[in-house]
Amino acid sequence: MAQKPKIRELLDETACAHSQTRKAACNAPVPGATTGGCAFEGAQISLFPYADAAHLVHGPATCLGASWETRLTRTSWPGRDLTQMGFTTAIGTNDVVFGGETKLRQAIDYLVKHYAPQAVFVYSTCVTAMIGDDLDLICRQAEAAHGLPVVPVHAPGFVGSKNLGSRLAGEAVLMHLIGTLEPENTTPFDINLIGEYNVTGDMWQYSPLLEELGIRILSTLSGDGRVARIRTAHRARLNVLVCAKSLVSLTRKLEERYGTPSISVSFYGRRDTSAGLLAIAEALGDAGLVDRTRQLIGREEARLEQRLAPYRQFFRGRKAVLNTGGNKSWSIASALQDLGIEVVATSVRKATEADREKARQYLGEKGVLMTNPGQEQARIIDETGADLLLAGGRSLYTAIKKRIAFADVNQEKKQSYGGYAGLLNLAEDLKNALENPVFENVARRAPWEK
Amino acid sequence: MGEVIRKTGKPLQVNPIRLSQPMGATLAFLGVHGCMPLMHGGMGCTSFTKVFLTRHFSEPIAIQTTAVTDVSAVLDGGDTSIPEAVRNITAKVTPSLIGLCSTGLTETKGDDLGGIAGQVDFPLVYVHTTDYEGGLESGWGKAVRAMIDQLTKPCDAVQKGKAILLPHVGLQPIEVERIKEFIARFGYQVHALPDLSTALDGHLGEKQSALSSGGIEVEQIRSLAEAALVISVGASMLPSAAALLNKNPALCHRHFPHLQGLAATDALAAALLAESGRELPHPAIVRWRRRLQDAMLDTHFALGQTRFLVAGEPDFLAGACQALAEAGGRVTLALATVDAPGLDEVPADRVLVGDLEDAEVRQEDYDLVIGNFHCEALAHRHGKGLVLRGFPNWEEVGNQLKNDQLYEGGAYFLCETANAAEHHRRATTHA
Repeated sequence: MAQKPKIRELLDETACAHSQTRKAACNAPVPGATTGGCAFEGAQISLFPYADAAHLVHGPATCLGASWETRLTRTSWPGRDLTQMGFTTAIGTNDVVFGGETKLRQAIDYLVKHYAPQAVFVYSTCVTAMIGDDLDLICRQAEAAHGLPVVPVHAPGFVGSKNLGSRLAGEAVLMHLIGTLEPENTTPFDINLIGEYNVTGDMWQYSPLLEELGIRILSTLSGDGRVARIRTAHRARLNVLVCAKSLVSLTRKLEERYGTPSISVSFYGRRDTSAGLLAIAEALGDAGLVDRTRQLIGREEARLEQRLAPYRQFFRGRKAVLNTGGNKSWSIASALQDLGIEVVATSVRKATEADREKARQYLGEKGVLMTNPGQEQARIIDETGADLLLAGGRSLYTAIKKRIAFADVNQEKKQSYGGYAGLLNLAEDLKNALENPVFENVARRAPWEK
Repeated sequence: MGEVIRKTGKPLQVNPIRLSQPMGATLAFLGVHGCMPLMHGGMGCTSFTKVFLTRHFSEPIAIQTTAVTDVSAVLDGGDTSIPEAVRNITAKVTPSLIGLCSTGLTETKGDDLGGIAGQVDFPLVYVHTTDYEGGLESGWGKAVRAMIDQLTKPCDAVQKGKAILLPHVGLQPIEVERIKEFIARFGYQVHALPDLSTALDGHLGEKQSALSSGGIEVEQIRSLAEAALVISVGASMLPSAAALLNKNPALCHRHFPHLQGLAATDALAAALLAESGRELPHPAIVRWRRRLQDAMLDTHFALGQTRFLVAGEPDFLAGACQALAEAGGRVTLALATVDAPGLDEVPADRVLVGDLEDAEVRQEDYDLVIGNFHCEALAHRHGKGLVLRGFPNWEEVGNQLKNDQLYEGGAYFLCETANAAEHHRRATTHA
């Protein structure tokens, strides 16, 4: 038990801007009025992208049965992509009564033998946490027997939200992997990317630029990640937190333990991508590198501008209403503005104080920050003459009623919108949405309707 | 019938196809008009289910959770969280029914759903659906049975001309509609429990409802027992039919393991002719039978040289394998999500209760795969043909509009499968 992370401590993150105003008790979900994933899902999001590791879920059918092969996190790992495989002990009634430890031990042996992973992550779930299977002991024994890292991840769903699960995953990596291996060599420009999962290849939109600048990605948590690399993460000069507040506990602890400073960046939209690259260069503290970075940014922005020109023409004068949550309330707004679309309103219903401030900053004084978008958005579309509604599927009806184009921001995206090049993908998708006559056409009145 | 392997003896599942009972129960509740499914468990069970069904149907899914935490798991037996969830739900919307199902977490604790349900002053049906037993199909079946047990009024007379359809979970919304229409053409007024054909059929509504957007009315469930005829489809629905007979021993029950292919549809038509006393079915039915006969002949050449892997829920396997076998398709491996007595009847060289790893190590045995979207990677890796069927199918749209049942759907199914087999053969020859 001494090995297990302290959940209360993780909930009270001192490095988190909003933790001063929020009480820990607020984190308890309300029966009958709760949406969103559990801690196990958060752990899955954070660690499954390690494609060279097997991810074994110790629990009943639902936990993995409904959730494997759901994420488009891409990898260049040449072996079999284990992220896209599902491993579960799928415990039955017997295991619940007599304990699932034997089964778990055999399951680890089985997948090591048949799939030769570089490491095994073992996830506890509500049922196996409650019956008290000793994950730590079994993982320790399996690690000794097989000679490879076997990491227990204590993030059973009922301990809290996705966000907490990501933190617990970070704790598992900190406790069991980071600092257990020395890199072959180091450079003054070694960084870790934390919280970048390379969904649809987002990371690959900017990682070649880092490489060109001579910045080496020593390890990632966990996009296109390798277990052997994250074990060396303590030797990096800088931790770069990519759009993931949940792992701020990890970067703070890395700073305390290894003295590695950290910065938080986003690679969504032109301005954020440029700012992110520059922030990394500046944090690494090399004047030459900063110069080279400025030059590269200039070149990339000019190239992007040229390729965006035809789109800008098309987007000129178009107005959009954005109804989404969290940091998307400003990060998508920023990307839309980069394309020349005017964002007349954005939802800040689920946003933190910091997100609100940023949204205000991006939208300016005239922009509307919607606190109750479900009620407000139809009226705002009328008042502003907006052409496009970007929202979750729920709002489709509003768009059809108002006969304007609709783009589902929550839909699993199939291609990357990250970095400079991703902006072109976003531009193309939005152009297609605006040009598509379907929203007009489905709104046709039936011949029998008065 | 070939060999049936019920246990692989592995300590784990690799690339599982088994889905959980609470998900099946949720789906059943979504076939009741204005219902709010409520899962008693951690919030993740509900969230995963919501995303899963939303992506399969491309429709918003109504569902709520009692959001059990590590603390309430210890301190509360559901007597606090369930009534609180009901209060919070009904503060915002007015469901016609709350469909409460348990999960592995709350079954391990042993929460007394029945006792708590008795204290809740709101229409509520409860069902025990742990997810360390059974699967999607049994969860659906249990929820249907619970609705009949807890809602349907006992009765001793029957209303002539009223028929009830009890469809298994594998039947997609349009299939339920087609079976209802088929029965109606013999002069019956038909209700289905559950009825996804008016709920998750992918229709554009006026606005999005926070509750299930269609399905059978709760009032209809209450008066199910006055039907003259009950038709159950799929072995998983037998307990539900028994529950209904329990409410009214006078009603006539006809059971069909499935309704795919010529023989199975003939059996239904024969039963309906006998029950209704008609000489001939509706001309459209006669015509569709001829079309299916023709489709069988047109497809037999392609199907006859193809070896199939069919993966899915037991009741689905019964129908799909039979339809293929009728036109000469050889199912070399039928992969079942869970064990079921009906597996002995599945026409396949080998029936195996297992996962996609079990199918993968036997990949030399088949040319074409029929199964859910997880089969796609397997098919691509080994160069197999592919026809997507079952839950989940996140790669294609229009799942709710795919009809494989009766004479009409049988023709579509054979043609689609034969085309896929030919397409695959051409692609492999030219490669």
